Amino acid sequence: MDGSFQKSGLEALVDDRVDEGVFRVDRSIYTDQDIFEAEIERIFEKGWVYLCHESQVPEVNCYFATDIGRHPVVVVRQKDDSLSAFINVCSHRGALLTPKKQGKAATLTCRFHGWSYSCDGRCVRIKNEKEGFGEDGFDRSQYDLNPISKLASYRGFIFGSLVDDVEPIEEYLGAAATWIDLMVEQSPEGLEVVPGSSTYVIRGNWKMQLENSVDGYHVSTVHRVFASTVRNREERESLKGLKQTEGGRLVGIVPSGAYDLGNGHMSIWAQHTTPERRPVFKKKEWLEANLPAAHVEWILEKGRNLALFPNVMLMDNPSTQIRYVKPISADRAEVTVYCIAPVGEGAEARSARLRKFEDFYLTAGMATSDDMAALEDTMAGSFASQAQWSDFNRGLKTMTHGADEGAKAVGFDPVSSSESWENETLFFGFYRRWRDMMSASD
Amino acid sequence: MDIDTNLKREVAELINWETTLLDRREWDDWIDLFAEDAVYWVPSWVDEEHTVTDPETQLNLMYFQNRGGIEDRVFRIESRDSYASLPLDRTVHIVSNILVAGVDDEEISATANCLVHSFGKQGGQTRASLYDFKFRKNDAVLKIILKKITLIDDKLEGPVDVYHL
Repeated sequence: MDGSFQKSGLEALVDDRVDEGVFRVDRSIYTDQDIFEAEIERIFEKGWVYLCHESQVPEVNCYFATDIGRHPVVVVRQKDDSLSAFINVCSHRGALLTPKKQGKAATLTCRFHGWSYSCDGRCVRIKNEKEGFGEDGFDRSQYDLNPISKLASYRGFIFGSLVDDVEPIEEYLGAAATWIDLMVEQSPEGLEVVPGSSTYVIRGNWKMQLENSVDGYHVSTVHRVFASTVRNREERESLKGLKQTEGGRLVGIVPSGAYDLGNGHMSIWAQHTTPERRPVFKKKEWLEANLPAAHVEWILEKGRNLALFPNVMLMDNPSTQIRYVKPISADRAEVTVYCIAPVGEGAEARSARLRKFEDFYLTAGMATSDDMAALEDTMAGSFASQAQWSDFNRGLKTMTHGADEGAKAVGFDPVSSSESWENETLFFGFYRRWRDMMSASD
Repeated sequence: MDIDTNLKREVAELINWETTLLDRREWDDWIDLFAEDAVYWVPSWVDEEHTVTDPETQLNLMYFQNRGGIEDRVFRIESRDSYASLPLDRTVHIVSNILVAGVDDEEISATANCLVHSFGKQGGQTRASLYDFKFRKNDAVLKIILKKITLIDDKLEGPVDVYHL
C-alpha cells in the first residue's frame, strides 16, 4: 500500500480467462485499503446505489437518512408526493441536518446555528441574516441544499446516484427487475417495511456479504445445524402450519439454480419441499387468479435471493428481507436488515413471517450469525498473500450462456444460468462489473 | 410499596443464579429456571429512543413465546456444529439495580440492569441491557415466566445469543 491505487493492476486482480477455464480473484481486493478507497470513489459515488424503500418515507415531509459513499444523503417526501434527495449537510458548517435516521419535519433546522431548509431543499431561514449579511437583498438560494444528481424508484425501491452519467434505472436493473417484480406483485396493496431493524458489523469486507447472500454452496455446511435445530423443535412441539420451517434447501436435496443477471447483479433460487409453510401461501388463490402461472410457481415454490450491485440484497424466502450494506473500511462493513412484507397481510401470516425472520436473518438468530463467523474467518485468511487466489470456476463446465428454461418461463434474460445454486459462475458478473467501474477512465 | 424482604432476596438470588448459570454454561440448570410457558423477548429498536412494543407485529431480535426458544438455542450450542458458537464466547454477567417492582396476583415483577462482558476471537466487548422479569411461584419455587432483555447496543459485533443476554 503506497497510497495510490493503480488501475493497471486490475487485470491482475480479476483473472478473467473463462475460455481457459479460469475465473479467479486476488484476495487483496478484500484487504487492501487503497482498493477500498477507490471502490468508494469509483463504485459507490459513480453509479446507482440503493437508498431506501418508499414505505420508509410514507407521508409528506417524511425523511430517511442514509449514505452514498462518504456522502450523507437524505430522502424526503415532497408535497406533491414525489421524492427528492439531498446531501444531508447544512450549507453553513457541514453538520448533519437530520437529528434521527427517520422522521417527519416540514423544515429541517440545523441545531448548530439555526439555519432552516424546507423539505424541497430551499434555504428558508438564516439566523440573524440581516445582521450578518446586510439589508440589501442577500440571496439565500446559494445555500439551498445540493440535490443528488439522480433519484429513481423501481416499484417502491429507491435508488440514487451522485453522478448524472448513469443509465436509466430499468436499464441498470436489467434482468434483476423481474426478480424485484416477483416480490412486489405478490401484494396488490404494495409492500411495507415492518417497524424494527438490526444493524450488525462484519469484521470483514463488504463484498463478502454480497457474495454470501447468493452463495448456495455453504448452506448445507453452515446451516446444517439450523436444519437440525428446527427439526428437533418441530418434533418436540408437534408444530403445525406456518410455525413449521421450510428446510429442504438447507440440507441440499432440492433443485436449485443461479444467475448472472448482468450489471453486477446476481441471484439464486432453491425449490421448496413444503411451500405451504410460507406466509405467502395464504394468497395462493389470489396469485393464481392474477399472475402468470410461471410467476405463481416461482413465488410460491422457490426461495429466491437477489443481490443488487453494489449495496443491497433482497431475500424472498419463507421470510422476506432487505439487507443493506454500508462499507466502512476494507475490513469493516455495517449491515442493516429490515423485514419487508405485504401491506394488509393477515395477523397469522405476519407473525409467522417475523418469527421466521428472527430465526434466520439476524446475528441474534441461528443462521446469519454462523455466516458472519465464516466471513470473518475468510477475512483473516485473505491477508495471506502467499495463498492469494479465490477461484470462482465451480460449475463453469455446465454454465448456460443466456437464459435457461426457468428464466425463459418467467421472462428474464440473464447473462448466464447455472443448474445449481452451489455453482459460482454467477460471481463472474459481479467481479466484471467491479473491474469495469474500478478501471473506468476519469 | 412494602415488599416482603424475603421475596426481594429470593428474586435477587434467582436473577443471580440465572446469569451465573449462563456464564458457567450449565445449560440444563439454566433452562430449568424458566417455566415451560415462559416468554423470552429481546425487542429491537424502532428508532434511536424507542424499542418495539408489539412483538407480534414488529421485528424483534428474539421473541420466544415459550421455553422452546431457549431450548433450541441450547440444542444448537451443544451440537458444536454452529460456526458462531465454536469456540464459544466467554462471558461474565454483572447484574445490579435489582428491584422488585410489584406483586400482582401470583405474578412478581422485577427489573435489573446487566453488563455482559464477552471475550471471543475478535477480542473483548461489553454490552449492556435492561432486564424486565416476571416470576410465578410454583409449589413455593419461583419460576421465570418472562425475561425481557432490552439490549441498548446496536451495530452489533459478533453473534448475539442467550449467553450474551
